[in-house]
Amino acid sequence: MLRPGTVFGGGIVFAALLSAACAQTDKASTAGLPPAPWISRAIPEGKGEVKTQPDGKKMQVRYKRAPFAGVPQDWSDYRTYAYDDTRPAPPVSKAPMTQVKGDPARGRRLFLSRAQGPCTGCHLIPGADVWPAGNIGPDLSTYGDRNLPDEFIFTQLYDSRNFFPNTTMPPWGTTGVFKPEELVHIVAFLKTLKGPVPPEKDPDRNPDTRAKPVGFGDNLDPTNNPAVLLAEGAMAVWSKKGPAGKACADCHAGGPEKSMKGAATRYPKYVKAYQRVMSIEDFLTVHAPETTGLQMLSQSADNLNMTMLVKMQSNGMPVGVDISSREAKAAYERGRASFFKKVGQRNHACADCHVKGAGQGAEKFLGGRLLGNAEAGLTRHFPTWRTNFQVVWDMRRRMQWCMTPLGMNMLPADSVEYTELELFLTSFDSGKEMSVPGIRH
Amino acid sequence: MAEIGKVRIRIPSNIKRGDVVRVRSLVIHPMEIVQRRDGKPVDKNYLFIHKVMVEYNGREILQADTTQSISENPFFSFTFKPTEPGMLRITFLDTHGGKYEGTAEIKFT
Repeated sequence: MLRPGTVFGGGIVFAALLSAACAQTDKASTAGLPPAPWISRAIPEGKGEVKTQPDGKKMQVRYKRAPFAGVPQDWSDYRTYAYDDTRPAPPVSKAPMTQVKGDPARGRRLFLSRAQGPCTGCHLIPGADVWPAGNIGPDLSTYGDRNLPDEFIFTQLYDSRNFFPNTTMPPWGTTGVFKPEELVHIVAFLKTLKGPVPPEKDPDRNPDTRAKPVGFGDNLDPTNNPAVLLAEGAMAVWSKKGPAGKACADCHAGGPEKSMKGAATRYPKYVKAYQRVMSIEDFLTVHAPETTGLQMLSQSADNLNMTMLVKMQSNGMPVGVDISSREAKAAYERGRASFFKKVGQRNHACADCHVKGAGQGAEKFLGGRLLGNAEAGLTRHFPTWRTNFQVVWDMRRRMQWCMTPLGMNMLPADSVEYTELELFLTSFDSGKEMSVPGIRH
Repeated sequence: MAEIGKVRIRIPSNIKRGDVVRVRSLVIHPMEIVQRRDGKPVDKNYLFIHKVMVEYNGREILQADTTQSISENPFFSFTFKPTEPGMLRITFLDTHGGKYEGTAEIKFT
């Protein structure tokens, strides 16, 4: 089901042609094809803006809290999921092997370097200091026994697409993450990896034998998941009269329990009034100011808590997103195309990590993290409590953080691109029970 | 935050005679922290929970004095071994005279 099919580019081209052809004659019938322009209604840190520093360096404005606060890089030079970003993927390239003598010790340090790779995020090598190692790529513990020519290994590291066009391995040399002489050191190191491998002392070191995380107990228990209390706190906003003299409670009679029952199962959905697909979070950014006069910017506490309060009323009910309309179908296809689009400095697609298969990441370890499988449905417990950051993340904050390993600047939290990607992902949750708020590490 | 003083108690759904039961309780409370002016603590009657009492079938089984060092919406967990089914009552007292109670019924399966 999850294969980059013919719709990959065709859907967009078809949609664009259709809307261009009809633009002058019939506006209503082409609504949503392509998506209407959208001005972000997120809090300033969530808008994905890039600012130029006084020293001329560009820097993206990110959230002030961990983990976003620790990401100083700017990836403006690399292509993104934005629909108006027409830059192609970096072309496959080769470089001659530099005439430097490879130093295996330096190569090993580079292999473990968190600032560049780390290669150990996907590949296992021996050593107690390799922590934590992933298993998306092949185990390289005995790579030296293959007796491959230096030139081949070098080109494989420089741009693996020279040999494997559909590889998930980033083109380290082409995008300039590693300099050619650094790659020579890594080649020298890889050649030293010879068997036999010493017996494993700690089963958790090797991702193939590592215990899988077991979760954090009942996510709907308020004594266990602090997000439940935050959601209940949104009841104060529900009954608060805004500048327009009205509260949510004035129109939605019977409290959220009655008026919002099952509502969240249909989102993200195509909303005609705004000519775009919207999640609950997106809809609140426009619906709250238009009715009560209260601001509910995307990623604001009020927005997140209200979203949880609304979604909780559908807990236990099956997700049922509707993609039968022409507009929703087009949005779904664009979301699907984004899922398979290679972006960022690492030239990765969502599919590289979240589809099951050889050389793909789903249900394997990226470093210490077990990657989710898109086909199992990734969205029905969002917004979710993050135990390690002690904060609630909605699907968008999760996506924005996913951009970091891709080496891509994040898009606005309420962007159409993310919404349509969320629609595509949510379609895999269809029929499965909602359980909001979730609790995850 | 939800209303002050709402007490929630969670006990295992399946308790057999002789089991040690872990009780998890949570109370909604601001637990006001010490304010300082020019480095000196401000002297006032701070609002925080200072006593937690647990009764089982009318008999006190636990009493705890608590301070402001405990977080907002405090969570308390403890274990005990009920010898017969009955009613567990947890009472929280705060410094402004507030008294918040929650109960849970323990039945053996």
